[in-house]
Amino acid sequence: MFPESGFPEASAPGPARPLRLGVAGPVGTGKSTIIATLCRGLSAQLEIAVVTNDIYTDEDARQLRAAGVLPVERIRAVETGACPHTAIRDDVTANLLAVEDLERDFAPLDLVIVESGGDNLTATFSPALVDAQIFCLDVAGGGDVARKGGPGIERADLLVINKTDLAPYVGVDAEQMVTDAGAVRDGLPVLPVSQHDQASVDALCAWVSALAVAHQQGQHVPQDPGPMAPHFHAPDHDHAHG
Amino acid sequence: MSAELGALLLTDGRLPTGGHAHSAGLEPALAAGLRADQVPAYIDARLRTVGLVEAAAAVVALRIAVDAPARLGDVQAELMARTPSAPLRHASELLGRGLARLALRLWPDHAAVAALHGLGQPPLRPVALGVVGAALGMSAAAIARASLYDDAQTVAAASLKLLPVDPADATGWLLASASTIEAVVSRALATTGPDDLPALTAPMVELWSLDHHHSTRRIFVS
Repeated sequence: MFPESGFPEASAPGPARPLRLGVAGPVGTGKSTIIATLCRGLSAQLEIAVVTNDIYTDEDARQLRAAGVLPVERIRAVETGACPHTAIRDDVTANLLAVEDLERDFAPLDLVIVESGGDNLTATFSPALVDAQIFCLDVAGGGDVARKGGPGIERADLLVINKTDLAPYVGVDAEQMVTDAGAVRDGLPVLPVSQHDQASVDALCAWVSALAVAHQQGQHVPQDPGPMAPHFHAPDHDHAHG
Repeated sequence: MSAELGALLLTDGRLPTGGHAHSAGLEPALAAGLRADQVPAYIDARLRTVGLVEAAAAVVALRIAVDAPARLGDVQAELMARTPSAPLRHASELLGRGLARLALRLWPDHAAVAALHGLGQPPLRPVALGVVGAALGMSAAAIARASLYDDAQTVAAASLKLLPVDPADATGWLLASASTIEAVVSRALATTGPDDLPALTAPMVELWSLDHHHSTRRIFVS
């Protein structure tokens, strides 16, 4: 729609459009670095663009531009009116417009990454905005955060436990944190990542690369982590009510 | 029936059209030195100038959307000529696109919604507002009031993020603007067509919007 003007038609979900990948998680856990890492590792095989949602500044966008991992015009900052949670969940309009503009301006893209402004543990992306999402924690935020759970930690498509190299310095058992996360995620993947461990970086890029292929082949079905923990009944093997 | 509900919808901050990311120029105004006690005067000044222009454009757009949707481009062009600041045009386009996105999902077959195609450019907010108002069956007065209320409420809501304001006081500012809003609604309704749109400007609002565009520390788009 509005082809002459670049007022893009709302593109339907599915393989015809690029994979839209959200990256959420608390402030300071390494979302921007994860995105820079993905751009660096995947830009040879995928056409990528990024939308950032910093709360007060365009610092994240500038940091990514400075990292030189993508052409600067492929990185756009979106203001969220101090409501980063709203902008990825209740009213995704501003982000959707930015995503669609990037998809139009740099067609054909393979991957558009949306970085949430660092928010609390309950913030997750709406499936109206992204096809899949990474939730990012770091060991320095505390070893118990993964165990506490929450929608992103429990049901994001991928949980990254970041900065594992810092674990000895902050008194956190990174392996235990990964184990705890696995226990609340019911089989969904957990990936410990350190910028100083190339194998972990490769694994992160491989996960996104495989997701992009699944998306292109129409095999990826977006899952909503939802805002709340689902009502859960434990299997009744060991006891019975009444 | 949807006309009554529509008026409420269009002024509800929970309507998913991206409005929460805007401050109607309050953020750059404060950065330029506007004081908290001047916010009510800022609301009033906007209502009487850019508020009137936008409300009149929404009225004209609604009437055209009902009578002759193919002429929507006329009001778009006249309003564009009255919006000299490029950042404010961009902000209005973002809000217009948010409304258009909603309209395309909810009323894809409405003649005026379909006519948005013909604009060849993103609709400015008042143009999209008029089209949505027509789709909802709203009156011209209701769309003018919704446009003005939204402008004032955008400032009031943003003030809570930017200033140490008691939310009850901000609500009081809105109510205090009621007589101004009704007077401006009447003026907007008197607009006979696109070329009769008022051409009032608010030079400081426009100047501040240019400053804001270059700021690297901002919460709001505009």
